[in-house]
Amino acid sequence: MKDFDAAGIAVYALSYDEADALRDFGEAHGITYTLLSDPDSNVIRSFGILNTLIDPSDHPWFGIPYPGTYVVNPAGTITHKFFDNNLAVRAGSEQLLRAALGQPMLETKAIETATDAVRVSVALDGNALAPTVQKDLVVSFSVPRGRHVYAEPAPQGSVAVDVVLDENKRLVQRPLVRPTSAPHTLAGTGESFRVHHGVFELRLPLTINGAVGGGGTPEIAVSGEVRWQSCDSEVCDIPTGQRFEVELPLAESPPVALRSKKGAVLEPNAMEHFLRMSERRRGAD
Amino acid sequence: MRPELETRATQAGKGWQDHDGFVGPIRPGTGPRSDPRGDFPSGPAVGEQIPNVRCRNVDGTSFSLQEHRGDRPAVFVFFRSAVW
Repeated sequence: MKDFDAAGIAVYALSYDEADALRDFGEAHGITYTLLSDPDSNVIRSFGILNTLIDPSDHPWFGIPYPGTYVVNPAGTITHKFFDNNLAVRAGSEQLLRAALGQPMLETKAIETATDAVRVSVALDGNALAPTVQKDLVVSFSVPRGRHVYAEPAPQGSVAVDVVLDENKRLVQRPLVRPTSAPHTLAGTGESFRVHHGVFELRLPLTINGAVGGGGTPEIAVSGEVRWQSCDSEVCDIPTGQRFEVELPLAESPPVALRSKKGAVLEPNAMEHFLRMSERRRGAD
Repeated sequence: MRPELETRATQAGKGWQDHDGFVGPIRPGTGPRSDPRGDFPSGPAVGEQIPNVRCRNVDGTSFSLQEHRGDRPAVFVFFRSAVW
């Protein structure tokens, strides 16, 4: 949160909980951002994100939104959105900060490899992987002047930049986020295709689906291959694959982390709040 | 738009595992675990304005997002519940 404050970014979190339930939660965990109460789901509806897969008689679950986050510029225009089909997955703070500021926050030591004159490094944008919280695995490319690498969609028979992870059932990944590509036209044939050049990043959104390791292993090994095909203005090299393995620290999921602090309860008066919200909703039917 | 309900689930011990491997006590496709499959409504698009909304602050006072933001960038998080 201090990163958001330092950057002058306002943070609001809204739910359909009653104001007093949010106040209990905020006080229990020293929350400094603004918690907003929308118990009739009016704001949720005005945004158009009411979860209508839940039956209106299914209390207290009906009224929740599809959870997600909007990043908004000072004029009130949405600049980024984070929504996932899996309602348990949420955007990590680094992803939100980067969206608001346009800057990466690479904290883990990067692994660098140098082949083919293209340099590739892999690092997590964040301190650790925690269940449900999404962080980007950042693959940074540095392509020498005068060369380029194919972007999607690559011409037939060629290979576009890609990052393919080894199968790991603990990892939950989403599609690779690619930067905007540039056009490149071959002088001879006039053929045109998409390329990347210079310094750019690919971002692979990752989280984990549960605590890893029975014995409380503090890290998870994330391995895979970065693929690319580089060319100068006339000739292309054969496609290259460079393997990587990064050891990423693990952290507790947010609810577990909150509870771990001096034995704090996740929500004070939870049962009372839960019963009251259920009754209010049933009574309104 | 009414999306499709994601119902893929496997039993995992005393809980239920969804197709991403998350395990929980509630069966995917029911109650709070009603995840959408495929496209689903995610509100205004990038480039659009957020609605001029009014809701309640934790002290019960009325709160308007437009009035309070004051020319700063903002992050607006919709979450399911602090109670459950």
